[in-house]
Amino acid sequence: MASTTASHATPPSLSLPPSQFARLQPHAYLLAHLSPPAASNQPSLRANGRAASQFRVTSANAGSLTHTNGSAVVRIGDTAAVCGVRAEILNTEDIASWSVSHASDEQTDDKKSKSEEGDTDSQDKEDRAHIQDLNLLVPNLSLSTGCAPGFTPGAAPSALAQSLSHQLLSLLHSTRLVQADDLRIWYQPPNLEAEALGEQMDVDSEESGNPAREIKAFWVLYIDVMIISLAGNPFDAAWASVLAALRDTKLPKAWWDDDNETILCSDDIADAKKLSLRGLPIASSFCSFEADAAAGWRSVIIPDAEEQKAQEQKQKKQGMQQRWVLADPDGYEEGLSQERACVVVDKENDGKAKTVIVKMEKHGGWALDGDDMRQLVDVSAQRWDEMKRILDQC
Amino acid sequence: MIGPTASLSHLHRADGSASYKCPATGYNILGAVNAPVELPGRRDALKPEEATVEVFVKPGTTTAGVGERYVEGLLRSVLGKVVLGREKGFPRRGVVLTLAIVGGENIERGDSYLTVFPALLHAGLLSMISASVPLSMTFSATLLGVTKSGDIVRDPSPAAAKAAVSLHVFAISSKNHLLLNESEGRFDFDTWELARQNAVTICQGSSKGSDGDVNMEEEKNASGNGFIRETVEDQIYSDYVYKLDSI
Amino acid sequence: MKGQPLPEATASLFTANPPRTPIGPGTGPTPLPMRSIRPPSAEPPKKVAKFAAPRGEGTAKMSKEAQLSIAERDFILEALRENVRVDGRQPNEFRPVDISFGEEYGHVKLQLGKTSLVVRISAEVTKPRDERPFDGLFNINLELTSMGSPAWENGRSNDLEASATNTLDRVIRHSNALDTESLCIIKGVSCWSIRADVHVLDYDGNLTDAACIAIMTGLQHFRRPDAVVKDGRVIVYGVEERVPVALNITHKPLSITFHTFNESKNVIMDASLKEEQASEGDLIIGLNSAGELCYVSKMEGGPVDPMLIVNQVSKAWEKAKELNIVIESVLRADLTKRAKAGMADESRAENDRLMATE
Repeated sequence: MASTTASHATPPSLSLPPSQFARLQPHAYLLAHLSPPAASNQPSLRANGRAASQFRVTSANAGSLTHTNGSAVVRIGDTAAVCGVRAEILNTEDIASWSVSHASDEQTDDKKSKSEEGDTDSQDKEDRAHIQDLNLLVPNLSLSTGCAPGFTPGAAPSALAQSLSHQLLSLLHSTRLVQADDLRIWYQPPNLEAEALGEQMDVDSEESGNPAREIKAFWVLYIDVMIISLAGNPFDAAWASVLAALRDTKLPKAWWDDDNETILCSDDIADAKKLSLRGLPIASSFCSFEADAAAGWRSVIIPDAEEQKAQEQKQKKQGMQQRWVLADPDGYEEGLSQERACVVVDKENDGKAKTVIVKMEKHGGWALDGDDMRQLVDVSAQRWDEMKRILDQC
Repeated sequence: MIGPTASLSHLHRADGSASYKCPATGYNILGAVNAPVELPGRRDALKPEEATVEVFVKPGTTTAGVGERYVEGLLRSVLGKVVLGREKGFPRRGVVLTLAIVGGENIERGDSYLTVFPALLHAGLLSMISASVPLSMTFSATLLGVTKSGDIVRDPSPAAAKAAVSLHVFAISSKNHLLLNESEGRFDFDTWELARQNAVTICQGSSKGSDGDVNMEEEKNASGNGFIRETVEDQIYSDYVYKLDSI
Repeated sequence: MKGQPLPEATASLFTANPPRTPIGPGTGPTPLPMRSIRPPSAEPPKKVAKFAAPRGEGTAKMSKEAQLSIAERDFILEALRENVRVDGRQPNEFRPVDISFGEEYGHVKLQLGKTSLVVRISAEVTKPRDERPFDGLFNINLELTSMGSPAWENGRSNDLEASATNTLDRVIRHSNALDTESLCIIKGVSCWSIRADVHVLDYDGNLTDAACIAIMTGLQHFRRPDAVVKDGRVIVYGVEERVPVALNITHKPLSITFHTFNESKNVIMDASLKEEQASEGDLIIGLNSAGELCYVSKMEGGPVDPMLIVNQVSKAWEKAKELNIVIESVLRADLTKRAKAGMADESRAENDRLMATE
């Protein structure tokens, strides 16, 4: 080291303050924390003081924005996301595809209604048709200027922001979180015949001559997420904020006014209705940190999956762990690992029934296998309980 | 079932190219790789010690949107891990992969991207091989749909994929590693595990179980990794056919 | 002028491009593709330019295509002085045109020498523009990716992309080759939106003409689903249910690009990439088989004699007629093939039905 020559004057000290070590040798720094010498009797902790499967302190606060229909701020450690939901009315007249139907669809629809099979099934299909095909949910995520170093003002939306937007949208669609019925604005044409006949028949008229009610408009939910501080794991924070904001969202009572030929909304807050969401899917992200930083690229032959597993088991027995799966990685840890995993789980019946996985992904490496994923699902299920408590309180 | 078809190195300008067609899902993908190339516009993104893998996905009949950015990120992370970006000549350079979806149904905004994903992965890998980019391993991918009755369907058509309860994409390396998993829908872990085992069988073929050596060739064809190998072998054969004649 | 920023005329055409964002309610924010803004050239524009100077350097700087070596350029120019092209073609000869079709209607693969591209035509029902309630929509979309040439950067537009898009727009769209009024379904409510996507696979010169041939072939090959208005609702029939409808093509314009060399003494058609790089100027003529001009452009490079343009128009007309005959013959061949396959399918279906009843 160069410092040895200079250290004649001062007592030789080769130790660096931890903050400098962390910057110079980030990989070795984290590794030293995770695998402390056996003699020191210290537990294996991450550089941020958390255990491997521990999430950061999470807080949520709903309804803090006044000009939105629903909003939430979610903070996971130093990553903070603000979400605002704005509802706007979309008249069916303005939808190009509204008056268009596909002949093939209609035939299958007819069959469905005739056979009366699977009521939820056809409802699902209708939900998908309305929410997905008409784009009634429009999430957009922006990584605001200065949320982390490197986000300069005036730049085009980064690939990360765009892909997070897509993940939010596809998760909203695949979980069918929002029910299409909440977003529909109906019009029930008055039954003129029944009125003429008088009141004595109003029980029968319900069934007989009532003109079919029609959808006049939809609510479009613009879900804007802003990451105001990014310190790793933006997806969990963004999704939690979307979820909290949607739980907070109230739509005013709206109806079609036939005389003015327009949609009217009620001012009365008492009339406003909350969205009824399907379930509470909670996202948990993980990354895998490998002891050998060069494992992936050194030109050695990569062993077969089985071999590698056996080798790992052997090393584990000797007390040498080769890799750690870190829950809720912060920015520092994300920079040191390439392999990522994300599990989104939900529990039916308010957490009493079994765990349902709604999304699972892993990419960027080959260390995590089926057994690891099973553990991650279990960790995510625990996280679900924690997040439910936090979201219920906000 | 009609198997997929692929060809290598059919373009002139790109360093490597491949086309991949999957009749079951109807997708036809063209891939081109330029590597290693200078990326003057991305100087800030270049890494000093290894190559930068860039992926661009061009949809067939729409303009690229957020979905493409997402799938590009996934492809980058899978291929970036497989490419030996520290080999000589690669650091500070780019490996640029361009994939064009020239056949098959359009993916609307907000639709699941999983249905095209295996085809994109295959086209990307074959293009990399065609461009002689050093790789640590090859892989193959498969799309599995779980129907309402709990059956696992391989390579469901776009309509069947829409009706499926859950969709799973797995990429299994030539050495049996799980390289990538993307699952969505509603499912439990046992279903996922079952799908994963199915995927391993599809990608690897039932290599150990069969004791008869009669249908070895057929099995090789049937598995995903076998298909990749076969495609490359065919190309090498046609490239060196002049040598074979002279022997 | 060489190597300078585009003249104002072309710069303003950026805005003439069709909007890239999808039209329709609720589509939400679509991120705009990244556009690079060309830095102003370091050198001040020189007033006196040597016209005879080859365009090579200029083109190389613009699209970052590898420069032609001096020897190669001299070779091309010398050979042209003796009326010889490097690939042995006549001055007014195209490279072999090979057109093939995909399974879907409107999926065209075109090979012009080593230049190759795929065009896909697609249709969807949208709302017409407010100011033109009787018209459908038609857009041409050309995006150059690094598949076509390593010099093109993904996600960034370059000058070639802008000028080619502009030329295609003028020749095909603005000449109303596709009758947009026939795309109207219900006035002001719904109409067809036709979209042509050009994927350039290999670039070896003459992108514009190749794309033009492919798009025109695609438009004639494409069949949109049949749509019927019933009680104010539009019912779209799938391709399997009803015979799909061909588009209404009013005329068949094609663009023919010439390049000039040796102080415009040599003029050639369908230049390869190397010839393009060695040329001093270009001339694009868009016209249909009837010889009606719809686009003439003498955009850049050395000056030419006005009479030359008039002479080239007649040569372009000959070529356009020739190319349209080629297009017609491949279309006819494909349609008969499809009809046969369709008949076979039908008889198979018939057989199945018979089997079922038995």
